[in-house]
Amino acid sequence: MALRLYRGDLLLIVALLVPLMVAAPRLGWPPGEAAALLGWVGRVSGIVGLAMLLVTAALSIRLPGFDRWFGGLDRLWQLHRLLGFSAFILIMLHVLALGLARVPAGLDVAVLTLFPPPSQLALWSGWLAWLAMVIFLAPTFRFFGRLDYQRWKGLHMLSAAALLLALGHALPLAGETWPWWLLGALGAGAMVWRKLLSPSLARHPYRVASVAPLARGVVEIALRPEARGLGYRPGQFVYFTPLDESLTAGRGEEHPYTIASAPHDPLLRIGIKDLGDASHALQTVSVGSRVMLEGPYGDFFAAHHPDRDALWLGGGIGITPFVSAARGMADVDEGRGVQLFYLANGPDRAYYLDELTRCAGENERFTVTTHFYRELGPLTESFLRHHCPDYADREIYLCGPPGMIGHLRDLLDAQGVPAARIHCEVFDFL
Amino acid sequence: MNKFAYSAFIAFLASIGTLVSVHALSSDDETDGASETRDITLDELAEHASAESCWKAIHGGVYDITDYVPDHPTEEEVILEWCGRESSEAWDNKSPGRPHSPGAERQLENYRIGDLVDDQGEPLSGDVEDTSADAERQDASPAASVSPAEDQRLHRAMLGQPMDGHYRGVFTDRGEIQVNITFDLRDGHLTDVNFRHLAYRGVDYLTLEEGDDLYPVMVQHRRITEWLEGEPLTTIFALYEPARVVDEVDGFSGATLRGAKVISAMRDGLNRGVYSWP
Repeated sequence: MALRLYRGDLLLIVALLVPLMVAAPRLGWPPGEAAALLGWVGRVSGIVGLAMLLVTAALSIRLPGFDRWFGGLDRLWQLHRLLGFSAFILIMLHVLALGLARVPAGLDVAVLTLFPPPSQLALWSGWLAWLAMVIFLAPTFRFFGRLDYQRWKGLHMLSAAALLLALGHALPLAGETWPWWLLGALGAGAMVWRKLLSPSLARHPYRVASVAPLARGVVEIALRPEARGLGYRPGQFVYFTPLDESLTAGRGEEHPYTIASAPHDPLLRIGIKDLGDASHALQTVSVGSRVMLEGPYGDFFAAHHPDRDALWLGGGIGITPFVSAARGMADVDEGRGVQLFYLANGPDRAYYLDELTRCAGENERFTVTTHFYRELGPLTESFLRHHCPDYADREIYLCGPPGMIGHLRDLLDAQGVPAARIHCEVFDFL
Repeated sequence: MNKFAYSAFIAFLASIGTLVSVHALSSDDETDGASETRDITLDELAEHASAESCWKAIHGGVYDITDYVPDHPTEEEVILEWCGRESSEAWDNKSPGRPHSPGAERQLENYRIGDLVDDQGEPLSGDVEDTSADAERQDASPAASVSPAEDQRLHRAMLGQPMDGHYRGVFTDRGEIQVNITFDLRDGHLTDVNFRHLAYRGVDYLTLEEGDDLYPVMVQHRRITEWLEGEPLTTIFALYEPARVVDEVDGFSGATLRGAKVISAMRDGLNRGVYSWP
């Protein structure tokens, strides 16, 4: 994750610090004596951990446009994951520190602090919240291996129980409750929106207008909006929920796909490669069937440095955001030069290449260079330099399979290209 | 991140497991230790009423907490007040109506030295205090002769432990706001005590000027606020006897505004809770 701060990050920092600031007069500075210090650490980690848990829940909201405050949905997701992880660690530190802080008073006191009589409901509510966290985080952090995506999603819903139990733990015990009501409401509100309201309120109905094969295992699906279409920018993606009854897999499941059409196109087009059960079934989706779209999300082509020339490196189905941008170029009189390297296995796998070449013919500031793995092996620095001598000074956009991204990052890094100039969107998790 | 989360999870389980198992393995010894107790009478208990040796009787047990007093989070003088006495009431009212935690209860057991008995050697429990012992103690206690305006125990019991912050309260009578007072609490001490409104029978005292008939009454109220500045909260009860606070009490006897109204307004503020945070 690039270290750049987005405006949403400042909001996050404020939300995370409010409970601590409110409690600060009561907590004071860390005391010097060991047991008192442990008690202080226990309280502070509890406060920050719970704040993180609630903010993590709030970050699950997934509102079109809101994600761009955080640099796109993929970065928002990374923040969600990082905060959830930190909350989990801090909450365990909280328990352990408060327990150990009582050891000087006797082991039995320490144990009783952690495991009080059942009548201390608030404390046990905290334990249950932790247990719920363990259950729904275990597959997330691969404690015991990986879980199928849909089942993982279902299990992740236990986070709602963890959130309520954690509030049931904190509200009776906290000195000041309003920050917890506030963050709790934000977190619960986000989950209610995401799981209960957004499926009916945030999804836009479309019909499949055509399914055009681009190569073996790759199709472009064109979608016509039933009502008003989504407004989007090149490089953004949508959650795609097919309702076609004849699908063998993935019916009613949402999956993210990058938009390949230009924003002015009356049809919304997405390129879909056969990578799993759901995308395999979509290769033969019925024309005329209904599809629900939610979005758009992402901020791939955010205006980082609009004055600087751009270098696009796309491969595989990762070519789609560049296709969208190239198709849209005719409308936007872009001042900057753009060079696209299409990294494909061979000419037969370079789908969209004809159209990209045509776009390049119409726009003198746009150049397309192909690089075929089967002929040349992995992309080398000399190839890049030969075709684009000033590549190191450009804003660089990467999209493609993980192996390609890793290779390109290493290559660019070795040439001293600053990481802040490399933009990459990975959504194998969304 | 995955590995770290897993390691932290296992480390957490291991630490808690160690804590619990060490406790389970060592708990046998503690029961032996706890059985070495003896009978202690109220007279013997009363001999240990100082910081040098502080015994307390709580629900029938006698505890020597001398070593623990410096570690207790509450102010020492509050703790020491109960030394040498039956202290179940204080134990059950850590803050009003709220007893000490089960953890504290276990901690207390470490200090048990005996059981409280009467002169005949019969067990005495704090819950069924017989009236004669109670009466005796009341007589013996120095607090028994103290005026309600000075009895700190009474004050603390009535006020609880209000949080630091800015408070506002009013006293109204016959549809008229007579006292509206604001004050801050810092570590249980009063600061910035001010009248926002002071009136009686339609006269706004705060607008009075020198020479007005009732002007001295207003001055006396000003004295009250000056006098309260920096004092512990419990001193507001001294206003039940305004002569302690203000020299010329004629204005008070003139049935215009009374110290009791100020107390009432301040306690109204405390009941409402913190108006704004410090």
